[in-house]
Amino acid sequence: MNDRMTFDPTRRSLLRSMIGGSMLLPGIVSQLLAEDAAPSNPADPLAPKPTHFPPKAKRVIFLYMSGGVSHIDSWDPKPKLFADAGKTVPVNEFQGRKGDYKMFLKRPQWEFAPHGKSGTEVSSLFPHVAECVDDLCVIRSMKSDHTNHYEATLGIHTGSFTFARPSIGSWVSYGLGTVNRNLPSFVVIAPQSPYAGGQVWGSDFLPGAHQGTLVVPGPEPVANIQRRAASSRLQELELGAMSRLNQRHLASRADDPLLTARMKSFETAFGMQAEMPEVFDLSKESDATLKLYGLERGSTKGFAWQCLVARRLAEHGVRFVELIDVGSSGNWDAHGDMLTHAPLAKNIDQPIAGLLRDLKQRGMLEDTLVVWTTEFGRTPFNAASDAKGREHHHWVFSSWLAGAGVKPGITFGESDEYGINVGKDPVHVHDFHATILHLMGLDHERLTYRHTGRDYRLTDVHGNVVRDILA
Amino acid sequence: MSAVCRLRCLGLALAVVVGASADRAFAESDSDFFEKKIRPLLAERCGSCHSAAKGKTRGGLALDTREGWQQGGDSGAAIVPGKPEESLLIRAVRYRDDGPQMPPKEMGGKLAEAEINLLVDWVRRGAPDPRTTAARIGGATLDDARKWWAFQPVRPTTPPIVKESNWPRTDIDRFVLAELEQRGLTHADNADKRMLIRRATFDVTGLPPSPDEIEAFLRDESPGAFEAVVDRLLGSPAYGQRGARHWLDVVRYADFHDGDPKARNPVCEPLEAWRYRDWVVESFNRDLPFDQFLVHQIAGDLLPAPDGKEPNTDGLIATTFLVNGAWDRGDADKEKMVSDMVDDQIDTVGKAFLGLTLGCSRCHDHKFDPVTQSDYYALAGIFYSTRMLKELGTKGGEITLQRRPLVPREVVEKRDQQVKQIAEWNAKLAELDKQSPKPPADDPARLELVAQRDRLQKELPPEPPATLAVSEGGVPGGLFPGIQDVPIHIRGSYTRLGDVVPRRMPSFFAGDRQPPIASGSGRRELAEWVASKENPLTARVIVNRVWQWHFGAGLVRTPNNFGMLSEPPSHPALLDWLAAKFVEDGWSLKRLHRRIMLSATYQLSSKVDGRGLMVEGQKQHGEAAAPSSPSTLNTQPSTTLDPDNRWLGQFTARRLEAEAIRDAMLFVTGKLDPATGGPASDNLAIARRSLYVQTARWDRSNFATLFDAANPDASDEKRNVSTVAPQSLFLLNHPFALDQAQLLADRLIREVPGDTPNVEAARIQLAYHLLFSRPASDEELAIARQVMAQTAEPTAESGWTDLAHVLLCSNEFIYID
Repeated sequence: MNDRMTFDPTRRSLLRSMIGGSMLLPGIVSQLLAEDAAPSNPADPLAPKPTHFPPKAKRVIFLYMSGGVSHIDSWDPKPKLFADAGKTVPVNEFQGRKGDYKMFLKRPQWEFAPHGKSGTEVSSLFPHVAECVDDLCVIRSMKSDHTNHYEATLGIHTGSFTFARPSIGSWVSYGLGTVNRNLPSFVVIAPQSPYAGGQVWGSDFLPGAHQGTLVVPGPEPVANIQRRAASSRLQELELGAMSRLNQRHLASRADDPLLTARMKSFETAFGMQAEMPEVFDLSKESDATLKLYGLERGSTKGFAWQCLVARRLAEHGVRFVELIDVGSSGNWDAHGDMLTHAPLAKNIDQPIAGLLRDLKQRGMLEDTLVVWTTEFGRTPFNAASDAKGREHHHWVFSSWLAGAGVKPGITFGESDEYGINVGKDPVHVHDFHATILHLMGLDHERLTYRHTGRDYRLTDVHGNVVRDILA
Repeated sequence: MSAVCRLRCLGLALAVVVGASADRAFAESDSDFFEKKIRPLLAERCGSCHSAAKGKTRGGLALDTREGWQQGGDSGAAIVPGKPEESLLIRAVRYRDDGPQMPPKEMGGKLAEAEINLLVDWVRRGAPDPRTTAARIGGATLDDARKWWAFQPVRPTTPPIVKESNWPRTDIDRFVLAELEQRGLTHADNADKRMLIRRATFDVTGLPPSPDEIEAFLRDESPGAFEAVVDRLLGSPAYGQRGARHWLDVVRYADFHDGDPKARNPVCEPLEAWRYRDWVVESFNRDLPFDQFLVHQIAGDLLPAPDGKEPNTDGLIATTFLVNGAWDRGDADKEKMVSDMVDDQIDTVGKAFLGLTLGCSRCHDHKFDPVTQSDYYALAGIFYSTRMLKELGTKGGEITLQRRPLVPREVVEKRDQQVKQIAEWNAKLAELDKQSPKPPADDPARLELVAQRDRLQKELPPEPPATLAVSEGGVPGGLFPGIQDVPIHIRGSYTRLGDVVPRRMPSFFAGDRQPPIASGSGRRELAEWVASKENPLTARVIVNRVWQWHFGAGLVRTPNNFGMLSEPPSHPALLDWLAAKFVEDGWSLKRLHRRIMLSATYQLSSKVDGRGLMVEGQKQHGEAAAPSSPSTLNTQPSTTLDPDNRWLGQFTARRLEAEAIRDAMLFVTGKLDPATGGPASDNLAIARRSLYVQTARWDRSNFATLFDAANPDASDEKRNVSTVAPQSLFLLNHPFALDQAQLLADRLIREVPGDTPNVEAARIQLAYHLLFSRPASDEELAIARQVMAQTAEPTAESGWTDLAHVLLCSNEFIYID
């Protein structure tokens, strides 16, 4: 699918309507139209940039589940863990503390069954997504570096487990720019703040234009998007006058990219006021589509709304859409009781399946990469034999990829017999990131930014593309 | 091959040649003797603690290279060739009583007599040692580190002779002009007076000049007119507010963690941080010498009060610097969190004062700079021996920040006594009431007790004011609860501990001037070492920051990193000259500002037809040429000689910072409340300066962040300048922006009454003077009138509001030339 084709009609008609409505703005409008034809402006951080090699994916929808989803209760079947529950295993570290521990194996809460033609086993925690397994590449050998939420959340987003660094969405925006100047290149939809807060979508040392724009489900999903001028025409008059004053100001100064970029940012803002609400307006979506996601008409609640809006943002040319299901509390952090996974799974299961099906039926799954992940898994064992929950577990966990350039209907990597360590083909967070960038046509070793005298990368000095899962 | 690289290679070649000629050629037997007897002995019995290759140089001594023992450790050269009796190494292996005894007992104890004799024999032979591998310390060879500009003492420099001798106003200009002339570049014209006063006023106070101030400056034709403006500005209270904001970026200041006042947990929120912010404002305003400013922040709790009365409130408040950092306070692993706090302190002290990324050595030796992991844990010992928390807290629970009262101990003790007394009486009352039968309500003993209690309760003074502050001794209940040296944390984790490192300053930098830590944590010694005139980094680092505050970029463009991977200064001699003058002036920041602002360089125009003009007929040096890019292809080559204005041929125009944008809006509407001090507000709509609108670490979606305010998670050396649509959306649609437009319109209408002749033009002119420090041109008047005519619905007032909105959104309002 071509980005231009999907958003051009809206954009062109919007621009034309602007020409029709005003004589003060033609300069702006013709600039915007001209930009469609000649999109490169070196002073503009969001100007489209060439990839390092032909990409498989043009956009990413990154689904992040906050708190640590249990791998052994969802994507990673461990028959021996069912069989040996209650027995003890020796462990040399527990929740970040070294030592010799004896831990009790805990039985998974949900039963596994093979699904689809591929026969990939998924637990009954995710019945709807299980029906889509033939489109998924489930990675059962993910590894992270830290046992705490904050660090692990930072790690899965930025590749750094200690310091704030640019998030993966910012790196993609920096590497590729945007294809729609009326929308940000990186959008994050989060009902609550996750661990590490805004650092999760921060651009850190990358130019601020690459920071994720936060959308909070509700009446005004993007801050200040609602036009407060009495009418669109009045605002055009204002912008037209401002443009003339700015032109005069610019004329007496050397060509300063900041000045021109700022003039453009008002034009983009003007466009966003029209296009953003259009993206968030679900009234033209059919009943069948809403049903697919399990979304009640008019509701902005839950992951269903997030997933449907993600599809619409992707259609409108947003490069990187991240959905965060819940915040830093009331999440998947099931220390007390594994059954708290059930309502959280229900919130995301049908919407994700709906998103995958919807993308597929629109032909968008071919060049859209869908990523599902969490910051770490949960321990297959506990200190007490009767514990109902599970603790943090970063030695191995599960994630999956679907869509553009990824082998569908496969599993990759293995954990050991109980799901305690990686058994085969480890995929560290850095490898995961390198692979996502690769699918976007970016070489993770060449996507660098110079900061305080050093070239920084998303993958620091690590990362290998997991070639075995590339289609 | 770059010039620098060529020089380095040349240096290396020279060193080899010198090395070969200086040491006599080895007799075959010497070489054999070393290889067969000495090398294995050194490796086996000394190598586990004294190996540069392994990154273990206990006491700063490496014995696996020749340079290692030549340079020696903390006690100086280890061997005097030919003189065993004077060689520390020999004294140590002989277990002499008056010095170190090596190898120590836990490493196998004293060498065999035969082994000692071998070493003595070797030294007597002149200690022939063919191992020429360069000694390394951390990430650099000793040789390279000693040559690195920033690690050398500040050099005395004299201003160079220049051709255009009538241009320089001060010595700064001579340094700048010499570089321009050498590159065949010329400078812009002087800024006109309006541009200059607008620039200087925003620079020093973060606010625009008032029309009256501009008028007064225009009328003052004396040669000292600008000097008078600078002095007025530096003397205004707004200077401290502006300077403090710069400094707060560097020290990762935040008012709170949580942006939501209702969600804040008082035990772990830095609720009293504002006292530190106010102390910084005041320190700038009374020009507290920077060395003292610095010592206060690291060790203010250990300083006597200037008036001799305890407590030293300023000293205590200043140490909030150490504890107002970002770490994951709520996570399960409290020991990890304490180690993160120590890391935050080392990182911030390193970057803010020394321009060193010391935090890089938490897990391993520094990759580029002469800083070892041992250096890091030598410093960590100092901070681990400092109490930052009242309590460690329990797993999953909250920490309790340490608060220290700002009143004398007797006052606190008296109040504590009273509180205790009240509690006792309450307990007694409760006991009485538990008796059966319960005494009657009018029981005289009971009544007396109640009366006593109530009397004391009434007398009880309110809880004394307190500040976040540190004290000596570690965090109670933690791994390091007292004053102690700490072990290396292998790979940065407290769960894997290595050798204990004595507390000390980083060995390369302190050299043989290690201040002894006699008692206490060592913070005071650290503070004084950092603030010392001899420290090559401290003065250079702050002088460079102040330069950046004025020019937008420092002479060193990585102000938090003067290490070996940073870009060297554009004007090294100027930097050293400024640093030397600064120290001479008693570390006065105000004098430094003044010195910079009175230079012709500062007073150049930003408006030139291109940047870094080229003198006719001269060719450009390769290194300053701009990379060709599509935007420059169509322009004349002469306009792109110095696109980054590295050589300061003009002033760089720049956008105002977030706080200055908001403050300027409030200023031009006439509503700005200039009051200083007090806790921060969570309300953007208040009329106070932005310094007093809260910064919260967990809230990254507010006005200030939108306009690139510093991220308070770590020291911020330089703000980004992003230009994104959400900023424009804020100015177009946020109620704060619309309110300011309304208030500005009200002011125009109020101050230019309707019966004024030519009222429309007069109001537009007032707006231009307020916002842009200049009159409007005829064409601008026409545009403004057109806006008015087209938008003056439903009322004429709404036309003024629309015009005000347009002007507040315009580029000219938020850029300074």
